[in-house]
Amino acid sequence: MDYTEIRGEAVNESIYNKRLNNGLEVFFMPKKGYSKQYAIFATKFGSNDLKFKKLHDKEVIEVPEGIAHFLEHKLFEEPNGNAFDRFAPLGANVNAYTNFNITAYYFTSTDNFYENLKNLIEFVQQPYFTDENVEKEKGIITQEIKMYQDNPQWRVIFNFLKAMYHQHPVRKDIAGTVESIGKTTKEDLYKCFNTFYHPSNMILLVSGDLKKEEVFSRVEEFFDDEKPMEPAKLVRYYPDEPSHVKNQYIEDNLYVSTPMFYLGYKRIPKAAEENQISLLKEEAMLKILLDMIFHKATDLYQGLYNEGLIDQSFYADYVCEPDYGHSIISGESKDPQRVKETINKWILSLKKNGLKEEDFIRVKRKQIGENISHYNSIEYVGNTFASYHFKNLNFLDYINILKAVRFEEVQQQLKNHFNEERQVLSIIKPLDRSSNIDN
Amino acid sequence: MLDIVSDKMNNGLNIHTINTDKFKTNLINIYFKRPLLPQEVTFNALLPKVLQRGSKNYDTSQKIAKKLDYLYGSSLGADVGKKGERHITLYSLNTVGLKYIDDGDLLKESMELLNELLFEPLVEESGFKAEYVKQEKVNLENKIKGRLNDKNRYSYERCIEEMCRNENFRLYEHGLLKDIEAINEKNLFNHYKNAILTSPIDIVVVGSIPHEHVKKYMIDSLKLQQSNVIAIEDDKLISRQGSVYEVNEEMEINQGKLSLGYRTNISYKDTLYPALMLYSSILGGGPHSKLFTKVREERSLCYYVYSKIEKFKSLMLISSGIEVDKADETKQVIQQQLEEIKKGNITENELINGKKALITAIQALGDSPAAMAEYTYSQIVGNHIITPDELIKKINATDIDEVVAVSEKIQLDTIYFLKGSGKGGNS
Repeated sequence: MDYTEIRGEAVNESIYNKRLNNGLEVFFMPKKGYSKQYAIFATKFGSNDLKFKKLHDKEVIEVPEGIAHFLEHKLFEEPNGNAFDRFAPLGANVNAYTNFNITAYYFTSTDNFYENLKNLIEFVQQPYFTDENVEKEKGIITQEIKMYQDNPQWRVIFNFLKAMYHQHPVRKDIAGTVESIGKTTKEDLYKCFNTFYHPSNMILLVSGDLKKEEVFSRVEEFFDDEKPMEPAKLVRYYPDEPSHVKNQYIEDNLYVSTPMFYLGYKRIPKAAEENQISLLKEEAMLKILLDMIFHKATDLYQGLYNEGLIDQSFYADYVCEPDYGHSIISGESKDPQRVKETINKWILSLKKNGLKEEDFIRVKRKQIGENISHYNSIEYVGNTFASYHFKNLNFLDYINILKAVRFEEVQQQLKNHFNEERQVLSIIKPLDRSSNIDN
Repeated sequence: MLDIVSDKMNNGLNIHTINTDKFKTNLINIYFKRPLLPQEVTFNALLPKVLQRGSKNYDTSQKIAKKLDYLYGSSLGADVGKKGERHITLYSLNTVGLKYIDDGDLLKESMELLNELLFEPLVEESGFKAEYVKQEKVNLENKIKGRLNDKNRYSYERCIEEMCRNENFRLYEHGLLKDIEAINEKNLFNHYKNAILTSPIDIVVVGSIPHEHVKKYMIDSLKLQQSNVIAIEDDKLISRQGSVYEVNEEMEINQGKLSLGYRTNISYKDTLYPALMLYSSILGGGPHSKLFTKVREERSLCYYVYSKIEKFKSLMLISSGIEVDKADETKQVIQQQLEEIKKGNITENELINGKKALITAIQALGDSPAAMAEYTYSQIVGNHIITPDELIKKINATDIDEVVAVSEKIQLDTIYFLKGSGKGGNS
């Protein structure tokens, strides 16, 4: 059979790939000795996709916020019950998630794999939306939204994004608002489904102790993949996003014990001619850099910790998408402003004195080890591989890119990335009444 | 499915190895068992925080962190938790498998670090380093106060706290605010000296190292010197006293959190225990369950609703996030589902789905080192060992009559409602 092998030598894994006639990319990662099988069927359609059209259509479609997530909920609906009923008798756990860029449906099973896989492929391709069942879902999603409104970790992130971005839809809540959910109709849902759930805009990834020939032949059979299909050509509209931040500071009050903060820097706009591989490299360089400055082993962390300004929840990370990107430095602190001031002073002195190569070597080893460890989890690798694939990146390659990063490149990122004008601080403060609670 | 080799080393020390080469890592979990008592819960909670700050040869957490990073990101964590009225401290070392990296001494050096942390503490004037104790007391205080940040979990735990108000199980695993002040570098060190010698210890290793090597590694690298190891009381069954206890608490949040606490009156050693697991699976163990179907799908009352068994304490909790004014309706629908099961109104599908969900979860344990270690320890700690395969057999053999028999034993004890006042900020 004509599949190709994507080899991950450093982690001793392989992923096999085949593109079906209908345009769907199918991937299989064998996991010998695993009891679980896992399959994820995902579309490149997330909460950011609010304005779009098919290439040859005239009409530009605009949809209410939160629609990708609403659609995700509703695809589980079937004429006679819901998709959960298909999987439950087979012992499989089926679920789905929506983020800014993708919607993914997945299951884990320990038995009846192909029957489950068939179910997954079927239910995701068979919408059944009625006015009544769309209405019913609004109550459930409203409770989901309210749950997140009470979740300080969630709120501190979304406020951060609202302050960082002027226009880009990443500043909007993934689930939308109670109002936007209220406006959503079954026609909106069908429009989105018909646009984004085309096989050429989706991927299917399977993992487990399975035979690759059988995986591919069964998938072809389930898709009835005989005739070539015209790939979906989509145009997505994202508003122009200025390079500066909208607000440098944002705060909110919630029922919490200690202030929580999210601090970060907006990425410098990327030059258009840069090719895609640089996105993996950007991520690897920035993640090394952030660990070199903010990880537990650093002087900055230790200083802040010893002053009682941070605790073990403190961490840094980098978000790297084709159309937006930013660093995150997050934690809990009695005085987030002072954390920010300390960080800014520290970065100024680093810029003057430079980074240390021994820190670079140590952090690289740490991240190599962490990357290898991730391969214990078929769900983690499956999800990550899928989201990288939609950015035209190969997750198996990340470790090689990471190994190849040079110290000088990280030094250069230090100069570029940390610009106080592109810095945002989001704080969730305790309500007056929740700051002093006796337990 | 799980190939476990266990060895009793001496009084109170057991080593258990699960040997498999399918993972990229080696996991070493060391469990210290203490009784859950008001006089020591806060000491137990603070101790790992202080030990992680520095040891004799690595006197700052920075030195420890640097070493761990250099060892290809080995992680060395500590956590405390409750298993019934036992207070468990877990020290967990996770290292990358030697065949993936070019550092043959990785495991040896990681083990040395683990030994340092546990058995070679940083001592100044016959106590821990005062500065570290002082700082970690503040962190512990923040941790305890921070309990209310996660409303879902807070409501779940508060329900248990209220239900078990006259039992030690009420104690929060991270300790009591009021007891922090009296702890100092001397009395904490005395507690350490006692606990490190007298606590029953179980070491669970999951990875590619064969048992005999594991044993040798542990004996050679850890300074284990146990003596006068304490006995820990067995779990007791406690039934509801008096009528249903209702507790309302108000908070400025958007969503109300309802938690119902039940006494199952079924011990994990009881032959009926697998039927209790099945009962909870059918009632609220996932999208196949009655609660999900009735409370969420049919009435749109919530986004999440589930039931969960507290194995060692013989409790069952039901938890859901709802509109404040829908509390009565939700309680009523939940109650109806319990009644349905009691009447034997369980369809063949519900029975099968309930079983399958449990079985898949048990089979999947084998694909996660941490889950395997945790399952293993959960068997050991109650001194009632059922292998995953046996448990699956028992669940498969359970019939509707046994599930109904569970219904006859379960009593609603406490209703806890965290009332939102709808002022939880704007969105």
